[in-house]
Parts: sequence; C-alpha cells; structure tokens
Amino acid sequence: MSRRVTSVAVVGRDVSLWLTVVALQSALGRTGLRIHAVDLGSRLSRADVYVALPTLASLHRLLGVDERLVLDACRGVPMVGQRFSNWAKGAPPFMLAYDDEPPPGGRLPFLQYWAKAALEGLRVGLEEFSLGSGCARLNAVPLPVDENAVLSASYGYQLEAQAYAELLKQLALRRGIEIAASPLCGVGITGDTIEGVELADGTRIEADLYVDASGREARLIGGLASAHFESWSEWLPCDRLLAASAPRMPSLPAFSQVSAFHGGWVGLFPLQDRTAVVAAYSSTAAKDSEVADLAGVITRVRISGDAVVSDLGPGARQSPWLGNCVAIGEAAIAPDPIDGVEMQVTQAGISHLVSLFPATAGKSPEASAYNAAIRSFGSNLRDFQAAHYLFNRRYDEAMWDRVRDAAPPPGLARKAGMFRARAIIPMADEETFQEQGWAALLTGCGIVPQGYDPRVDVLPAEAHVEMVQQRLRAVAELARRMPAVDQFIAAEQQMPLQAGA
Amino acid sequence: MDKPLDIVILGGGTAGWMAAAALSALLPAGRRRMRLVESDEIGIVGVGEATLPHIKNFNDSIGIDEADMMRATNATFKLGIHFVDWGFKGSSYIHPFGVHGSAQAGLGFHQQWRRSLDAGRDWDIQDFSFACVAANANRFDFPAVGKSTVNSTYSYAYHFDASLYAQYLRRFVEARGVQRIEGKVRDVEQDPDTGDIRALVLESGERIAGQFFIDCSGFRSLLLAGRFGTGWDDWSKWLPCDRAMPVPTERCGDLTPYTRVIAMNAGWRWRIPLQHRTGNGYVFSSRFIDEDKARAELLNSLGEPLLAEPRMLKFQAGRRVHSWARNCVALGLSSGFLEPLESTSIYLIQIAIMHLLELIPTKGHDQRLVDEFNLRMDLEYERIRDFLILHYHLNSREDTELWRYCAAMDVPDSLRRRIGLFRHSGIVEQYRHGLFTPPSWLSVYLGQGLTPEHYSPLADAAPLNRALKDLDEIREDIRDRVDEMPKHASFVARYAGAPQVDDRHLHEAEVRL
Repeated sequence: MSRRVTSVAVVGRDVSLWLTVVALQSALGRTGLRIHAVDLGSRLSRADVYVALPTLASLHRLLGVDERLVLDACRGVPMVGQRFSNWAKGAPPFMLAYDDEPPPGGRLPFLQYWAKAALEGLRVGLEEFSLGSGCARLNAVPLPVDENAVLSASYGYQLEAQAYAELLKQLALRRGIEIAASPLCGVGITGDTIEGVELADGTRIEADLYVDASGREARLIGGLASAHFESWSEWLPCDRLLAASAPRMPSLPAFSQVSAFHGGWVGLFPLQDRTAVVAAYSSTAAKDSEVADLAGVITRVRISGDAVVSDLGPGARQSPWLGNCVAIGEAAIAPDPIDGVEMQVTQAGISHLVSLFPATAGKSPEASAYNAAIRSFGSNLRDFQAAHYLFNRRYDEAMWDRVRDAAPPPGLARKAGMFRARAIIPMADEETFQEQGWAALLTGCGIVPQGYDPRVDVLPAEAHVEMVQQRLRAVAELARRMPAVDQFIAAEQQMPLQAGA
Repeated sequence: MDKPLDIVILGGGTAGWMAAAALSALLPAGRRRMRLVESDEIGIVGVGEATLPHIKNFNDSIGIDEADMMRATNATFKLGIHFVDWGFKGSSYIHPFGVHGSAQAGLGFHQQWRRSLDAGRDWDIQDFSFACVAANANRFDFPAVGKSTVNSTYSYAYHFDASLYAQYLRRFVEARGVQRIEGKVRDVEQDPDTGDIRALVLESGERIAGQFFIDCSGFRSLLLAGRFGTGWDDWSKWLPCDRAMPVPTERCGDLTPYTRVIAMNAGWRWRIPLQHRTGNGYVFSSRFIDEDKARAELLNSLGEPLLAEPRMLKFQAGRRVHSWARNCVALGLSSGFLEPLESTSIYLIQIAIMHLLELIPTKGHDQRLVDEFNLRMDLEYERIRDFLILHYHLNSREDTELWRYCAAMDVPDSLRRRIGLFRHSGIVEQYRHGLFTPPSWLSVYLGQGLTPEHYSPLADAAPLNRALKDLDEIREDIRDRVDEMPKHASFVARYAGAPQVDDRHLHEAEVRL
C-alpha cells in the first residue's frame, strides 16, 4: 500500500541546500513534511559572488525574504544586465539586458519592426530600443512600471556569496528546519536507491525522499547505479574558474562586465564594498598563473588578495531524478558561469520539485516528468550559453577557432537559423531567456536578420518610421525616470517611480 | 520592399477560402497577388460544423462581424462538447471551453477538488466549471471581459454550416479583390530542376502561373501528394475510424449550446444544433462494423425526422509526413485528417494559416522557413492526435470489439506517460505550443472515469475546512450566476437570428457532397 512522503533529507551545501530546504518548508511545511538538512560545509571563498537573474526577486517575495535585508547583508548591487566585450575582434561591446516580455496580444513584436528598419538602412542597433540597456547606460535600476506596460525591464542582483548563503542558512534555522549536528560520513546505496545517510557521530538519517544539493560533487545521486553525467564541453569549453577581488568601483554600474580573452573570459561583478572578479577559461589555452595576471590587465582593475582557482565541467545529468533521489542545482545541471544562471538552475529545480512533489513514497511517475522538464530547461539554457562561444568572432585563437567550428546543438541551430532568416526565435518549453533576451544575444553575436514577418509592411512607411522613433524616445524618457544604482541602494525602502516629464 | 508574391490557391472549400480571407486581410496589398482556382463541379467536404474558440480570434483578426457571420451560416453558440457513454456506458461529461474553479484558482484547483473526495464529498468537477453548468442549463451569454469574476472563466465557439461559412468567406474575399477562377486542373507544370510548381493548367487550356501554391484540394492532395509524392503517416492503428455517415434532421426543440458526441458500437455519433436543422452523423470503423449495420444503428438512434438520406465519406486517420514542400503548402484535408471528435479540423486549417503568415517566403525558396513550418505542424498534429487517442483508449466498456481493441492498444509513449502521471497524482503537464490546455485533459480523464489515485501533497498546505468552504462558495456562485443567464435559443434568436428559408434549399450545399 502506497503512503505519503513524510520525510525528506536534503544533503548539500551553500545556496542549493539552504534555498531548497526553505522553499520545501514554505510549500509543504504545513502538511507535516519533515525536512532534514545535512550540511556538507561551505565551499565558498571570500572572493565568490552569486549572480542572479530577476526571477530571484520573485522567489524572495514568495518566501517572504525582504529585498533590503538581502542587499544590506550581502553587500548586494542590483543590475539590469551584462555587457559583453571583445567577443568579436573590432566589434563594439553589446548589452544583454533583462527586458520583460510585453503583455500578450497587440501588434507583432517590436523586433520585427526593427528588423525591417535595419534592412532599410537604419543604423541604430536593437540594443538602443531596450529599456534595460537604456537603464544600464544611465547606471539606473528599472522599477516596475505597471502590469500592462509595453516597455518594462527587471533587475537581478550581484551578491556576496558567503553572506547570501549564511543569510539563507539563518532563515532555515529561524523557520525551524532540523540541521544535522554532525558531518556526513557515508551514504547507503543499493542500485538506484538510497537507503540512508550516515553521520560522523553515528546517527543514521532515513527519509522517504533524498535531495542532492551537493553541487558538482553529486554526493548522493552520483553513487547510484544508473547515474550518468553528460558533458557539454564540446560547446562550453571552459574547464577552469578563477575568483578574485578588486576594489569597489567609484560609481556603481547597473551591469556586469564580461570580456573575452584568448583563453576564455573575465567578468567584473560590482558589489557594494568590492568588485568580484571571475574568470572562466580553458586549461588548454591559458595557465592559472597567467590568468591571475591577465585578469587585472584585461579588466583594468587592481586584483587584491588571493585568487581562488577551481575546476569547471559544464554538463547535465541524464536523469536528475533517479530512484528516490532528486538532484537540484549543479548536481543536476552544471552550467558555464557565463550569463549568471547558476542560481536559476537551482530555482528551476526547486520549482519543479515542488510542483511535482511525489504523491507517494517509492517509485512514482513524477520522476519522469521532472526529468523531462529539467532536461528541456537544461538544453535551452546550454544553447543560450553556447551561442556566446559558438558564434564568437575571435579568429586565429586556437580555443575560439575550435569552438566556432563545432556543430551547434539542434535547438540553437533552429533559433539562429530562424533569427537570421526572419527575426523569429522559436521558443521551446522551459526557457530561461525569452524572445528579447535571445534577440539581444543573437544580434550581439553578429547575426543580422535577412528578412522579417511580411505583415510588418501593413504599417505604411511613414508610420513605421514614426513608430521606431517613438520607441526610441519612450525608452530614453522612461530610463531617465529610474533611480541610479547608488541612490537605489541608499534608499531605506522600495523606491517609487518618478513621475514622467 | 520586395516584389509582390504571386499566390495561387487551389480549392475553394473551407481551407481555401479561409486561406484567401486571411492572406488578403493580413498580408499587405503590396506583398501579394492572389488568385483562387476552384470548380463548381467538385463538391466540398465542408469539414466540421462545430468549431473551437480560436475561430473567433480568426474572424476578429480579419474583420468579420460576428452576428452577421452567424446569421449567414445559421450559427449557434458552443460552450463545449457533451460526451455520452465514453469511457463506460452511462458516462456523461462536458469538455468545456473554460477552466475549473474561480478565475484565480489556477492549476491547483482540481487538486483541492480531488482532496475533497477523500474528505467525503461526492460532487462532480463539472459543478465547478462555469461553462459546464451554463451548458447543462442550456443557457448562454458572452463571458465577462476585464473582470476576475467566475463568469470570465470561459470562452465560446460556434456551430455553423461549414459550406455556408465557406461561401460567406468567399463573398468577403471577392469584395477584397481576390480573383476566383472557375475550372478544373488538367495539368501541373513544374520546374525540371527544382520541382517548383510553375503553373496550373486548367481543362479550358488556361494557364495559371504563380510563385507560391496553396494546396486546398482536399483528400486528393493534388499538389502536395500528387506532385511531390509526399508520403502518408498512417495513424489508423490508434484511430481506427475510417467512415463518416452524415445525415441532417429537423431542428431540435432545445437548442443546446454544446455539441453532443455519443459513443456507439463501432465509433461515435455527433449531434450539432444549428438554427435551421440538426447535423448528425456516425463516425465508425469499417473494421468493426459494416455499412448496413452502421446505417441501421444510426437511424435507430435519431430522435428527429430526417431531412435527407445518410451519405458516406471515407477517410483514414493520419497526415502527410510534411505539409510544405518546395513552393507548395497544403492546408486542411490535403495535409492530413483527424476525425472531428474534438472539432479540430477548422482549427488545424487556422493554425497552419497563422504559421504560414509568419513564414511565407518573400524572396524565393528558403528551406529554413519550410523546415520551421513543418516542425510546428508536426507538433500541432501530434498533440491533437494524442488527445484524440485518449478518448478511445481510456475506456472500460468491453461491450463491443472496437472498445476492447482501443482499451488494449499500445498508445504513443508521450500519451502513456501523461496518463500515468495523471492516474497517480492528478498532475496535468502544460505545454507551450499546441492545442488543448490542462482543463481539456482534465475533463476527459475525469469524465471517462479516471480519478487520480492521489492528490498533490501541496493541496494539504491549505486547511481542509477552508478549502471545502471555497469549493462550496465557487459552486454556489456559478449556480447563481448561471440562473440569471438567458436561454441559448432566445439569445441566438435575438443576437443573430437567421432569416427563415426553405429547408430544402438550406441543406442543398451539404447534399452536393
């Protein structure tokens, strides 16, 4: 006779662990579900940073976490996008900002009208029509406009990693989640089933369901008989990660800065009291010591303190839910650090686990639904990241030449092909970035639409020109009403939007 | 701007005229030149007298006046489909054009309902669907717009005479300057290198040259299959019905705001209320019943006097392996056939037109556009196919061979996984593209007797007594509001009553088949 899941053991560390237990508690705590957290100990260094997309703010609201508290405790800085430099020799940088999708209905996407204008000789890039990019140029934070606004953008965060993990841990403690008092020393496994986890003090925790939030180590799911991890190194070639710090920027920008170099890229992520520096690179193209020196040169900052280097291995688990074990975060999908999606991976796992929380203990069909959703999520995300690498235009550099020659995954080939043919982006199920994000990325990679939806021509020529100019004005006007990053951080509470001119 | 595209549409049935109407209304005049070739000698099938709510968007987008269209086509409103004897003898459920629960309830609603069964409540999920309750009461009114009240939780479609709808579109299209050419195709000229169609040659000798051809020639698929040899993907192992026997009867007393489909010995029977008559027909599998027995079973089951003798249509469930080849795209029956159980025929035409509008070539052949269109249509067909198979497969009837066969057959993996998940915990996965959202799947699962073994544990997060109180309130709210709605028959008469015409004349179009 089947019975309910009454206990869950979450084994992991840092944000994957704490966010998972807090979210499970919030959704299912009242049903009597018992949640055990087994902390493997932090792997974060003082140099680490968490980069989060705008969806983290929604999750915070859902969990009742106050934004001001997060920004203060984690020396956080809001940001509206990321700027990419040197991905093509000689080309100017491009901005990938977090514009919101317009409400459904209405006319064709603005992208279509822009594609026509560009084909007819307009020299103004798509980026100039993005509210997010407009805010980024002014170092401004886009506040919500209203629900039906055609133009709106959202912001994500850059957070001090250790502080954010600690904040979530404290939250878990305050909400009464049981945290194991002793370190993990063993995992009992039979085939694809976890029998229990053993702690150093001799206690054994048995639960109906186990969640692996241990990151790339995959402490639980990695030991199951059918575990299989698929590498994405063909498209995401970086295998080393360096984290360091530089002094605070005198005036805080509203975006992260990501610059390519011969062996990979270096990113600057401004925080309130320092600037986090992250480099991802291929060990075949650059040595650790070389990168530590280069990072400061490329980004023109003074690296202070020690740099911490670790391994990277982008890829995904074929079955992130196997037997009675569900992988969340990097234990399920290990993305490239580009685009700041690490938190997003954790959030997606949590959100699917909650909505597909198994109705009974033991084998249940929710597992294959979870696997299908996470696989789709993972491959769309990989495609987005892969575009940065595959469509690079850094010629005559071995690593970049090699990845440019790789055949793109089918989903990316379809998106890039349709974008080039008609400025259309065919969206799949479980996409992290929506049409505008993809369009910003693909235009940034130098892909120029050769055609557009013929219905665009219904608008007479003058009206079309007027519409394009009007959008440009509207973006500029709205961006000017948004507060600067410094002002936003200094405010005591959520700021209101300034009245229009 | 590029030069206008010279488009030739072959066939003037529902598909041909819908394509002509949409392309002439939505593509800029400078973009296309369009002609439609059809022959008065070839009858049209006039697929689907029952539609889905999407058709309203179609009509609205091209500028058709609803009441005017309804008067011209003897239309009535449709809030859903009433299924009888599906799943098990004695079953009765409505697949509504709307959600279950309040406007705010979301996907968790039916989980609370399922939970209430464990708490001892014995009530039907349909009591919580505004569209179902209104349909059962034979009432109709337009959904509330811009509100979050429970009478905003549904949409509606039409029952109409599809032949009259095609004629209505023809008048609409001809008024916009699209040229109709009378004639039968004798030959098709193709480019010897690329295979592109260059021209249709008519029996009169007239040559209709074009750059882009839309094949709306019906089952014959004159261009797509006839010229490009596009293969056929046969789905009859899952959807064994291959005959339809339509027969019109007199208008029924109660004008129901829903289609009725009744499971029969070897298939199912439809009943579609129009203003001037009732459309009926038996869709059956010739593997499981012969024509004479089918005729007898059909005639036996009809309540109202016949207006004509039953006719016979033959078909096979399946589709062309792709809908677009070179410079020719097939719409409607020339690209595939799925039985009208869920009124998807016109929808499939419409969605193909919508994808075509986005992807129609503007400068010569572009294989990327062709591939994209075909990919999108694969998804549309397959998702509808799975949903149709569900109706057959999910049954415990055991009384006739067809139903035993369908219960035992191997279904596509995609469907088996969906059913397994619902059976276990009532979860209905949502997809981004393709027809039929979770409320549709839910209606069929529950209506055909598949109650989930468990409900989602998330439902337990709300206190039980509050959840039950919410359910009580929604049910009452729906009942009270439905009581105030007008009767469907009087609403139709007032809003879009068609002029009274001689009955014989009215079903002539159908007899032409």
